[in-house]
Order: sequence, then structure tokens, then C-alpha cells
Amino acid sequence: MITIVLSVLFLAAFLVLVLKRDIIAISAIIFSFIFFLLAYFSPDIMMFAFSGWSPPFGIVWVLDKLGLFMAIMITGIMSLTAVYSVKYVKERKHRYYTLICLLTIGLIGISLTGDIFNMYVFFELMSVASYALVAFLLNKESTEAALKYLITGSLSSSFLLVGIAMLYGLTGTLNMADMALKISGGPVFMIVLGLILGGLSLKSAIVPFHFWLPDVHPAAPSPVSALLSSVIIGSGVYMTIRIIFTVFGIMSIFWMLIILGLITMVVGGLMAIMQKDVKRLLAYSTVSQVGYIFIAIGMGTPAGVTAGLFHLFNNILLKCLLFLSFGIILWHTGTRDLNKLGGLGKRMPWVAFCFGIGALGTAGIPPLNGFASKWLIYLATWEVSPIITSIAIIVSAITLAYYLKVFSCIFMGPSTFKIVKKTPKTMLIPIIILAIICIIIGILPQIGMMFVEPATNVLLEQGQYINAVLGVG
Amino acid sequence: MIMIELYLTSGLMMMLGVYCVAMKPNLIKKIIGLAIFTDAIHLLLITIGSRENGIPPIITPENVNTFSQFSVDPVPQALVLTSIVISLSITALALCIAIIAYRHFKTLDTEKMSDLRG
Repeated sequence: MITIVLSVLFLAAFLVLVLKRDIIAISAIIFSFIFFLLAYFSPDIMMFAFSGWSPPFGIVWVLDKLGLFMAIMITGIMSLTAVYSVKYVKERKHRYYTLICLLTIGLIGISLTGDIFNMYVFFELMSVASYALVAFLLNKESTEAALKYLITGSLSSSFLLVGIAMLYGLTGTLNMADMALKISGGPVFMIVLGLILGGLSLKSAIVPFHFWLPDVHPAAPSPVSALLSSVIIGSGVYMTIRIIFTVFGIMSIFWMLIILGLITMVVGGLMAIMQKDVKRLLAYSTVSQVGYIFIAIGMGTPAGVTAGLFHLFNNILLKCLLFLSFGIILWHTGTRDLNKLGGLGKRMPWVAFCFGIGALGTAGIPPLNGFASKWLIYLATWEVSPIITSIAIIVSAITLAYYLKVFSCIFMGPSTFKIVKKTPKTMLIPIIILAIICIIIGILPQIGMMFVEPATNVLLEQGQYINAVLGVG
Repeated sequence: MIMIELYLTSGLMMMLGVYCVAMKPNLIKKIIGLAIFTDAIHLLLITIGSRENGIPPIITPENVNTFSQFSVDPVPQALVLTSIVISLSITALALCIAIIAYRHFKTLDTEKMSDLRG
């Protein structure tokens, strides 16, 4: 069943290169989105064992609510971005779509697999596709950014592999559920957890390892920046929480995550104010939002984990919306400099509306979705320490400040640009869909919680996951 | 006894690889450092799965009864094969981008090609 999705995507990745029709890749990604949406509403955890090997020995894919939640998000964002790119990417478009298909396969594999080495393989598939996408324009800036990303990225994923190798040596298994049964809380396991988290923190942009993000975003094409900032960061966060909660079963307050999250949040926010380049500013804003997610996850309480996952969900939507709307501005004007942009609000009212929704949502203004999840984070952190809550609120105010600056710089004031081209419908419709989803979830957060709450239960009830995978009572 | 030496060798190779990536300014040397680091992990994986005087993990009619006592673990070998393929593709991509970078900057020294800071 899941093999159908995988083979359709692999086939599309190949065929789009041979037949040179973008519609193949787009329809394959939309097909996978519909498949995961249908699979989500089946009652219990579905399992898929490759070549019929039973769980502790063979590779299994576990379609639980958390994995499917991520898969729906990923394929949804991917389909919107793929539609957006039809008019955006001008040269070598078919190679671009091949890479997009491979990236989708990598991300789906990360979110659904139940085998830790398999996760590493898909992680690398995702990484290789994203390195190539960052270097896609092949100009001076993108080549340098891609090299920086590639060398640091592959070094960090090597650390992940060291962690996995040591974990295999200690437990003698690769299946995550079986591993969870065999892990005890010894100091050796803490070293292994440190190696794995160190490897993953580069992809999820925690502060000492965030330096690649602001360099890579301006260099990549706008749809790729949108993907990097939303789903690739999201999958890094997903892997971290999956390994902490499901494999290691840590349920208490995880101070390391909270402290790293606080530093990430503050540094990201402060660095964002100083930027002149819009894409760098948005990248630092992503760093800051990842800090919020890690603080909430680090609480380890049901309220904290729910808030963290909900903020991850909102951040994926909002960052994709912001980068895609800014992509239209970049497509028209060709500059990312805040001092040169201005007065575009009257020329592009829809883009201004969507960018405004994204900016206000990220800052956490009440009727939008960012507020709902930030409110949950405030509530969850207040129980542990009010100091964390107050820092989070201050950073939220900083976020509002720099987004207001960006919005007024781009859309208000005297206009210096002549917009000659008309914005294509394929670029406008995806951002309007994203903006509408953000407003709906902001007004009715229950719709978002409907997806987030089952996912939280998967994380918090480790025993249920183990039972479902290994089938022992 | 040979096992400890293997573990030590892989640890030293890891340090060498990280040193090479972090300290050498030349791009090609950085990529070589990455390859050394990955190979050190492969050695670590093989060492984890091996045992003293182990035999290859292939069942023949002669060793059916004693197989489980002497055989090495076949899983790490499969993992290493997969990992070699991944490391190959990453090295190939890195060298490709390095060639393009050389065309743009006319140098392979990473300290001289930095327009991006921060």
C-alpha cells in the first residue's frame, strides 16, 4: 500500500526528467497528499513490513498519528510549492522537479519509518536533495552557500551515524520500538543521545548550529527557501522529538532542550532586527520560532508537548506563506534589500495581504494561528517557571517589531518600482490557500488541535507504540 | 586484544577527519576529511559487529551447528554497504559543487571565497 506512494514518487522523479512534463511531478505529489489524508482517518496504527520480515528483524514503516500528521503536512506544503514553482523556476525546470520528488520521498521516509537506520538513510536522501536544490541557481552566492551547507550538514549527519552505530552496539537492534525496550538510563546512553542530538541540531537550527540557515536562504530560489524553513527544519525537529520520546522515553523536564531553546529564541530574535536582507531576516525569525518549539517540547508535560507540536504545525504553514509571498516580490523586483524596496502595497494587494497574515501570525497576534500556539506555550511554561514565560513574551514583542519594520518597508511609502509583469495565478493561488488556512486555524484552533492531540498521545504513550509495533501484550 | 586497537584506530580516524574538516582551508582537503570521518564510522560499525576469530556470516552444511558461536554479525556489514553508497553520492555532489565554485572564485581556498559572513 505504502509502496504504491513510494513507487509513484520514484517513477515521477525519473519520468519528469525523461518526458519533460512538470505535471507528472505535481500530480504525483498531490496523489501522495490525498493518500496520506485518507490513511489518517483509519482507526488504529497501521504497519507495513517491507518484504514481509516481521518487526524486530526487518524494516517496518509505522503509520501512527504523529508520523501521518507530519506526512500530511509535508506533502501538502510540497504540493503547494510544486504548483508555485511552475512559473517561478525558469531554467532546468525538470531537474528541479526531480529533486523536489526526491526531497518528498526523503521527508515522507523520515516521518513514517520505524527503523532508526532507515531513518538515517532517508535523512541523507533528503539532505542530498536539499544540498542540490540550494546550489540550483549555480551562481556565485548559491555555490558558496551550498558548500557551507553541504560540509557542515554531512559532518553533522556523520555524528548522527556514530550515535546510531553505538546504539546498535549497545542494544543489538535497529527497530525503534525494540530499542526502546532495551534502553536503560545508563550514562553511556546519555552520551549516545548527546551524539544524536548534536547531529540533528544542525538540521533543526538550534543556536550554536544555526549559522547555515541565514546564508542558505538568500542563495536558494524562493520556493526552496520556503521548503528549507518549513518542512526541512520541521523534519529535523520531528526526528529530535521522536528519538527523545519514543526511543529514549524521557518524560521529565529536559533542561538541556529548554536552555538551548531559550538561547535560540533570544539570539534568533535579536539577530533578526539587525538584518537588511529580507530573506536573512525571515531565516533568523525561523531560528527564533524553533526556539519556542524546543522550549515547549522540553517541558515534557502533555500541555507542553501539545503546544510544541501545534507551534511546529503553525510555523510550517506561516514560514512557507512568508517565503512564498516574498518570492513573488523578488520575482517582480529582483532585490532583497529592505532599503530599496517600498510602496508595493497598492501594486500587489493580495501579496501584501498574505505577507501581512504571515507576519502577524508569526508575531502571535490574536485572531491568527500563531497566537493560539504561543498562548499554549505561555500556559505550559508558566507551570514550570514564569521567567521562561516572560522571556518568551518579550521575544514575541521583538518579533512583532521586526515584522512591522519589514511590512512597512516593503509595502508602505513611496514606490520606486515599475511592475510590468502580471503575477501568475499559479503563484498567487498557493499563498492565498495558505493564508486562508492560517486564518481558519486562528479563529477555530480546534481544527488544528484535532490533528495535534492524537499526535501528542503517540509521543506520550510510549508503551502503546511498542505494543503496536512488536505485537506483544 | 585486536578489538581494542580497532576501536582506537576508528576513534583516531574520526578525530583526524574532524580536524581536517575544521582546520584545513582547502576545499578538496575538507572533502577528504569528510570521507575519512565516514570511513572511520564504517570501521566502528564493522568492529561492533565482529568477534575474535569470527567466521563470515554464511551458513554452509559443515558449520550449521556451530554457526551461532563463531559467526560475526551480518547486520553492520549491510549497514556499511548502504552507508558507503550514501557517502559516495555526497562526495560526488561535493566535488561537483567544488568544481563550480572553482570556476566562480578561481580558488579553492575557503578563506578567500567568503562573501557570506554570519
